[in-house]
Amino acid sequence: MKPSPLRTILVLAVLALLVGPIATAVFVLGFGLGDSPCVLCWAQRTAMVLVALTGLFVLRFGPRPKYLGFGVLVAAWGVFMGIRHSALHVGRDVGQGFSVEILGAHTYTWSALIFWVCLIAMGALLMALRDGEATRGLERPPAGLDRIAIWLFLLVVAANIVQAFASTGPPPFMGQSDPVRFSFNPKHWVWSLEEWSPAPVSLRGRWAIEKPDLSTLSSDPAGGPFSGLPALAVARQFRLALPVDGPITDLAYDAASDRFLLSTLNGLYLTDGSLSRVLRYTVVDPGFSVDLARFGAATFLDSQTVMAISENKSYVVLRENDRADAAANYRFFLEAPDRFDEVARSRLSTVRARMMYVLSLAYDPVSNSVFTVSVPNTRTHRLVVSRFDRRDMTLSAEFQPSLASGVTLRGKERSLDELYVSGAVFDRGRLLGVSAAHGTVIVIDLTSQTVVAAHTVAGLDRPAGMAIKGNDLYIVGEQGAVTVASASTITER
Amino acid sequence: MEFLNYLLIFASGYLLLRQPERERLAFGLLVTSGILTAALFLMGTRTSILPPFNY
Repeated sequence: MKPSPLRTILVLAVLALLVGPIATAVFVLGFGLGDSPCVLCWAQRTAMVLVALTGLFVLRFGPRPKYLGFGVLVAAWGVFMGIRHSALHVGRDVGQGFSVEILGAHTYTWSALIFWVCLIAMGALLMALRDGEATRGLERPPAGLDRIAIWLFLLVVAANIVQAFASTGPPPFMGQSDPVRFSFNPKHWVWSLEEWSPAPVSLRGRWAIEKPDLSTLSSDPAGGPFSGLPALAVARQFRLALPVDGPITDLAYDAASDRFLLSTLNGLYLTDGSLSRVLRYTVVDPGFSVDLARFGAATFLDSQTVMAISENKSYVVLRENDRADAAANYRFFLEAPDRFDEVARSRLSTVRARMMYVLSLAYDPVSNSVFTVSVPNTRTHRLVVSRFDRRDMTLSAEFQPSLASGVTLRGKERSLDELYVSGAVFDRGRLLGVSAAHGTVIVIDLTSQTVVAAHTVAGLDRPAGMAIKGNDLYIVGEQGAVTVASASTITER
Repeated sequence: MEFLNYLLIFASGYLLLRQPERERLAFGLLVTSGILTAALFLMGTRTSILPPFNY
């Protein structure tokens, strides 16, 4: 009986899968070039073998639903595996990857494409089936190309048995994250149980990072990392009585216009110099473009231009405009679209501060740079100062400050990384930061990259922002409590 | 474990060729191998089951 075109297409597809990626992997890359699959590569290669075997089942016993369903499941799982494996290296620089390349792409990246093509081929073949054909069962003894495909399949699988035994060993040994070069010489075989070692199970792994939350921190300086800190003299304390739309996240001051800038989760408020009246405000629409999430901080770039940064280091730059087009600005603002224009909305990228949120922003007009300070999380504990050139908003310097002489910790186990800098201000070559943890103000010298001074401030409650006005240091709490301390000690005015 | 997995696959393919009347066993081996393959991949990625992307 002459085989149907559909059978011929299927057997050619199975042969292509066997001769292409699977045989190339074991004979050329493995036996020829000494490439050994890692534990993930093994699973991806095996899934391709299973797809091929499913095709052989269809050729032998007809297109039974259980074969078709299983084939789709394996191919879909294969696409996932390809994406999951490729994602390990997706953020690296050009050409960087793991193990060998084929046609300019590393082996594991090919698998997602191959499984995707398998799924497309399956869908196309299923569409070509006549009604009832899938359930009829068309058993057929292997002959011709079918027979060649089965024998080739057994040959390729036998070769994989040899490579798997040499590379991974008998059970319970299994594939390794970093396999050694393949060899037929048993002296070079490494059988490992490393994958059986206990490890935490997680869905998102290192990307599962909690959002910053000041309510979990104690502002009591007594538990802080520093020893023998002087206290800043508190001049007065008061509570803001301003119509703002939620918790306050930062405070900045512009001497030229004698105005303060307050930020909330997505709101920006310009107030008078006594923090008693809102002069101008807006609420930014955080979505439908770069995700602005929750503002962590804000600063003046000049007397008419402000910048707000989100916890995730996305930012927006706004410029005051009394004649702003409310209709045109509808897309950018949730409230008061006629008070500002949006100048820029983008993201800052960091290296050392990567995988950490920020809650502080300061601007230095001399170097025309903005500064952020990272806050620690359960996975990463680092105090990182990052500088970005305002002209291109690109990372221009980054460091982890050390301690200058005269500033001491309570013990060797204590660290600057315990600080949770939630507000910052630039002051003549130095960066001042207030830590919501332990209610401490630190002074960072940007030239020596050291913490040159630290001070306690009594009575802080979840400090969220800090500004300098004259000789006064204004520290605002998340709930609107303002502490005014003398800055003369710090700023040497 | 990969060695064991390929033995299962080979056995399934051999039954397909030489003993088609044992189709249920052959398909059972195929499914077992699929489950083992998925389990081995999950063991290798259990510290971050989803792709390590910026979610």
